[in-house]
Amino acid sequence: MSRYFYYFVLINMVANIIASVPSILLRHYNEGSVSAMVLATITGTLIITVYAKFFIQFPGMTLPDLLKKTTAKWFYVPLILIMTVVWFIAGMITLITFTFLLIRYLTPEMPIILISLSIILSVILGCLIKTDRVLYTVEIIMLITFPLIIYIFFKASTDANINWNFIKEATLFINQMPNLESFTSSFYLFLGVGNLFIFNRFFNIKQKFGWKQIISIFFITILTLFTTYFIPIGFHGTSEIESLVYPWLQTSDSLRMKYSLIERVLFVFLLFYLCIAFLSILIHWHVAVEYLKYLFTFEKIKVKDVNIGILIPPAIFTVISTYFVQALNESQLFRFSSIFYMILAGFFPCMILVFFYIKRRMKYAENTK
Amino acid sequence: MQKIQSKLKLLFIFSILFFLSGCEEFKDVDKDVFVSMIGIDLSEDKDKPYKVILKLFVPTSSFKQNPEANYTYLVEKGETLSEAIRMLETHIDKELDFGHMKLIVIGEELINNNKTKEILDFLLRRPDIQLISWITVGRPNAEEIVKMVPAGETAAYPSLYNYFDGNGTESPYIVTTFLFDFRRRMMDNGLDPILPIVQVSENKTTFTVNKSFVLKDKKTPFELDSLSTLVFNTLSMNVQMADIEVNEENELFVARLDKIKAKNKVKVQKDNQVSLEIDAKLVGYIAESENALNMRDLPKYSQLLEKEAKDKITKFMKLLQSEGIDPIGFGLKYKAQTIHHKRMSTEKWKEAYKNADVKVKVSASLKSTGSIQ
Repeated sequence: MSRYFYYFVLINMVANIIASVPSILLRHYNEGSVSAMVLATITGTLIITVYAKFFIQFPGMTLPDLLKKTTAKWFYVPLILIMTVVWFIAGMITLITFTFLLIRYLTPEMPIILISLSIILSVILGCLIKTDRVLYTVEIIMLITFPLIIYIFFKASTDANINWNFIKEATLFINQMPNLESFTSSFYLFLGVGNLFIFNRFFNIKQKFGWKQIISIFFITILTLFTTYFIPIGFHGTSEIESLVYPWLQTSDSLRMKYSLIERVLFVFLLFYLCIAFLSILIHWHVAVEYLKYLFTFEKIKVKDVNIGILIPPAIFTVISTYFVQALNESQLFRFSSIFYMILAGFFPCMILVFFYIKRRMKYAENTK
Repeated sequence: MQKIQSKLKLLFIFSILFFLSGCEEFKDVDKDVFVSMIGIDLSEDKDKPYKVILKLFVPTSSFKQNPEANYTYLVEKGETLSEAIRMLETHIDKELDFGHMKLIVIGEELINNNKTKEILDFLLRRPDIQLISWITVGRPNAEEIVKMVPAGETAAYPSLYNYFDGNGTESPYIVTTFLFDFRRRMMDNGLDPILPIVQVSENKTTFTVNKSFVLKDKKTPFELDSLSTLVFNTLSMNVQMADIEVNEENELFVARLDKIKAKNKVKVQKDNQVSLEIDAKLVGYIAESENALNMRDLPKYSQLLEKEAKDKITKFMKLLQSEGIDPIGFGLKYKAQTIHHKRMSTEKWKEAYKNADVKVKVSASLKSTGSIQ
């Protein structure tokens, strides 16, 4: 598979370290989080494989293209609308979480709307550019920030103050029934592959997705889940770990780089994650805007020959997310994202049924030709 | 048409400038004052039990102009810590910034009065307080420690920091406890919190840090003397260097260890009989001796060192067991190797820990007698 494929799969995994996924997992540390993570790794790798294998059969075609070709209008219009909402919410959750983080740790004096607007503004300009350019942006930012984030993770797992006994203790909770909430939230890490729905447009050449790719994805996810879940436990113990609101931020605050330019790793970590969060929102919202383009022809809306139609969806996104940034509090946000993850864990496997249907129809169409 | 479009675009881009709020929300550095350490004491006032002492860096225009350390102090009592700090904000014209605070001193009396939980809550809840700040106990109180400026202190880096940051002195007698480490020890029932005690030395010019407090049941403090603190540090691998005085079989020498490795094991037999195994490897050389030494006798000296170290560790472990304190984390070790539904309860474990056999194995190897024989 092309390297761009890994970018959006990876970003979804890495971006969730600062979102509510670790705190949901840690809340259920003695109620079946570990086994849920094991289960999620297996099913997650499976879903990535199925999705990738489906899309490499149709190089250069997006899911809305395929739906339009094979299904009736009453089916694909609501489906694409639902997908737009899903992708928009996925981006919005990252946005709100990150806004909360910034106001809590970096700029407590700034008004919350200003913080979210400054993120939204930079994202929206990105939403409107072409799909291939989005991927190039992602690549450049990944190349700059990713090695440094990996370095922080490496530093954390080799730190003298990490207590491996806590990690062993937490691992021993493996013999419990998987917890639903833990499973769905760790399953969410794998759903970056869903961005193929639109980004498949970019993969014009026939790709390969064999065992090598499956195994590498499998190991990447194990590493990600390990860092997400076990490193905070190594630093903060298991008892009352649920009292930490942002476990990974507090973990990065427990890291000390004695000879670094900035001793408190927290700020470095926050700045790098600002980039990752930006990419995550950019990808999600770009996909959401692209979906809408299939349903409405925005080019038609013109004021004195200037095309303003294309600005409508980003404007709606901005209004809705600035409303929610102010309306939600932390606990509501966590509940909201937890419910969202649960819905997605149902929605994405169901899409496989749609894939089967599309595949059959496409074969039929080819045969009749 | 093209022209109008590009003009409109320009107009749009310029309109973004209105989102910029300039410096309205931003505080200049000279409007902030940085807190270097916080001391928390118990006050005599019953309604306002907390006394907060802040040590503030006094800004100087250049290091050359004013190389000596310069501080201001703010002291206030309050019913809660936040109330005291809120009042302190009215004592100074600038905004208090806790982001650079690296040291927390808690008065001995407060620890004795079991107020650690409340203090810990305050320290953890504020996002601007670093989790990598060091937490210490001030003897006789925090105020004296915070307010003392030892001779030779440089501006911008209080000398008390040097005791803990592993960059200045690296004495094996100093226990370093980070705030996050203190938190996890307070929360977990298999690992007891330990805090270094900071005293002002007798001639009132420097600090002395060589004792520590272990909080028994997360409440009552038990004091470890200097030797026990040293043994604790060697066992929990906080130090790389230690001196051990060996006085056996007519020999009196000091071994300087430059490599210390200690492993702990917990073994559980049937009927909950526990044995604690400590396996220590010491490597070093002889730094001082009363008698002339012979290089060929190094194995013999190593054996003497082994015996001495074993004695000391066993004594230390007996002390821990008789007091029922566990700063090394045997309880945690036990939890880490036993599956959760087969574990004994916390009370049972405490009982088992007190009655456990201790097996200490030390293997020492002295590599040299120093520069002379």
